[in-house]
Amino acid sequence: MPNIDTDDILEQRRAYNEMLAQAADKTRAVWFPMAIMAVLLALPALQFVGNYNYLIHLVLFTASYVVMASGWNVLGGFTGYISLGHNVFFAVGGYFAGMAFARLDISTIILAPVAGLVAGALGYLIGLITLRVRGPSFIISSLALVMIFRIFFENWEFVGGAAGVALKANSLPVEWAKLPYYYAFIVMAAFAVWASYRIKHSKFGLGLRAISKDEIKSESAGIDTRFYKVMAFAISAFFVGMAGAVWGEYLTYIRPNIFLIILVSVNMVLMCILGGKGTIAGPVIGAVLIVAFNEFFVATLGASEINILATGLIMMLCLMFFPLGIVGTLARHRKLPRILNWD
Amino acid sequence: MADMIQILVLGLALGGVYALMGSGLSLVFGVMRIVNLAHPSLVMAGAYIAYWAFRLGGVDPMVTLPVALVILAATGVLLYKLVFEREARSAKYSEMTVLLTFALAMVVEGALGTAFTNTQRVTSPDYATDAFFIGSVFIPKGQLYSGIVSLTIISALALFLKFSAFGNAIRATTQNRDAAELLGVNVNLVGLVSFAIGIGLAGAAGALVSFVFSFFPAKHWEWIAILMSLVVLGGMGSILGTVLAAFILSIVAAYVGFFFGATWSTLTFFVALFVVLLVRPQGLFGEKPELA
Repeated sequence: MPNIDTDDILEQRRAYNEMLAQAADKTRAVWFPMAIMAVLLALPALQFVGNYNYLIHLVLFTASYVVMASGWNVLGGFTGYISLGHNVFFAVGGYFAGMAFARLDISTIILAPVAGLVAGALGYLIGLITLRVRGPSFIISSLALVMIFRIFFENWEFVGGAAGVALKANSLPVEWAKLPYYYAFIVMAAFAVWASYRIKHSKFGLGLRAISKDEIKSESAGIDTRFYKVMAFAISAFFVGMAGAVWGEYLTYIRPNIFLIILVSVNMVLMCILGGKGTIAGPVIGAVLIVAFNEFFVATLGASEINILATGLIMMLCLMFFPLGIVGTLARHRKLPRILNWD
Repeated sequence: MADMIQILVLGLALGGVYALMGSGLSLVFGVMRIVNLAHPSLVMAGAYIAYWAFRLGGVDPMVTLPVALVILAATGVLLYKLVFEREARSAKYSEMTVLLTFALAMVVEGALGTAFTNTQRVTSPDYATDAFFIGSVFIPKGQLYSGIVSLTIISALALFLKFSAFGNAIRATTQNRDAAELLGVNVNLVGLVSFAIGIGLAGAAGALVSFVFSFFPAKHWEWIAILMSLVVLGGMGSILGTVLAAFILSIVAAYVGFFFGATWSTLTFFVALFVVLLVRPQGLFGEKPELA
């Protein structure tokens, strides 16, 4: 038997992987997300020629959900732990930054990363507890979390209880008033998408994806699954908390029934499922589609109850017929257009 | 001291309704391994059937109860055929069905909200606001009757499961689906029937709920966590465990409400759910959940 030089084999494999990665890079249409960014950054210039506040609100709203859905995707998509209670971190981020804004007059946009860290730290602690169970038990525990936080926030007098706290609006003229938040959300969304790309292709992300495939095997392959899972939970909480921070100041009030309603966390989940769980472009596409659907239903049918009905129906149909989501299904059939292949 | 007994009685009286709501959920989980998050929204549908029968025709909710049971059971058959049967071979079955039932809960909530608005409703037959007195302790008639009815239904279910051939098949499927199938049990039919029974029990519970609590479509989110806490504490799939857990938790909640105020009384269920999931995921009577 010939003596195999293992160093050489590893070297060759690394070179081969490098070659594959470069080949993949060549087919990647990096210009496309860049072009979207450029358009979005220039969009407010429309205000010079007319009143496009509604359009700006829609883009801002979508961007806020891109941040949250991309964050959720780190836990729900890469790691495979479905949380229906991520609006808890939306609330924690929103309340932290909102209270600092109300009491100390620090802009929530500056505080957003700090609020994200607070939410992330809380996510770390909660993850330590709830990630001991998996599958349906984990999903149920995440729902219970929302109920517990809702009762606490509704009865905590310091943050205004169920009535919440009103925040002062900024003093900009009405056509420019939305812009600080608009740019904050666009930047956060871009950061969230970039970060989830980096996470997915790191050793850490590889570990997370291994956990979602088979946790016991990953553990025996030497992955510290507990630490990986809890970190994934904390990272996803970080993004959701950051979005919550700015959202409160944008709406000019913080109240439990803005943050802790089930529709917020469902939207995050649904956007990822519709777009494609575990893909980079999926949450973005999902966010655009769901916000468009919501606007359509509210504009044409008017009632939020029908909105809930429609959201549920879309989710059911999506789960039954496209469990891989738009990006995932297209990729499986090798029909994914190059401009949407962000992975 | 009289207060303490009074609270115990009130807690016990509420336990019956919770037990009926929880046992349907437990049956469906036991046989189908579906954590049915839509169960409380279907209870709500049953409550609306009872409400409109009472409002329009003056029909007593107790009379509407079998009707609600049958209507919801038929809905269960439909849902099983349309949605859940085709998921049986799905790789991530348990997670998939949780998400599906979650979406279904939204559909039911949206439909009920669109049809009947989010106004608080309650049926008010005479006994709903009346009470018996034993010394200084009062027993609200509505809750007492609903407790008796629900325990009767649960006992009937238990007898059916224990002594009928089909009940045996259901229990066999609960214990080990593959082995039951090998021994000639038609597990698909068992799944269909027990799903229908489970959803039917939601309808029956709805009729009772309609005069015990005031309700509106969006309230089912709160009940999801409450019912989950019963099923998880009882041990997923164990009906006896669920019934026991229903009484234990509603009594504890009654005491918490008395000592700390009504807001914190529902918190009991959520905290219990959390703690049980983490300390003893198999609950009182359940088996250790398999690592899926």
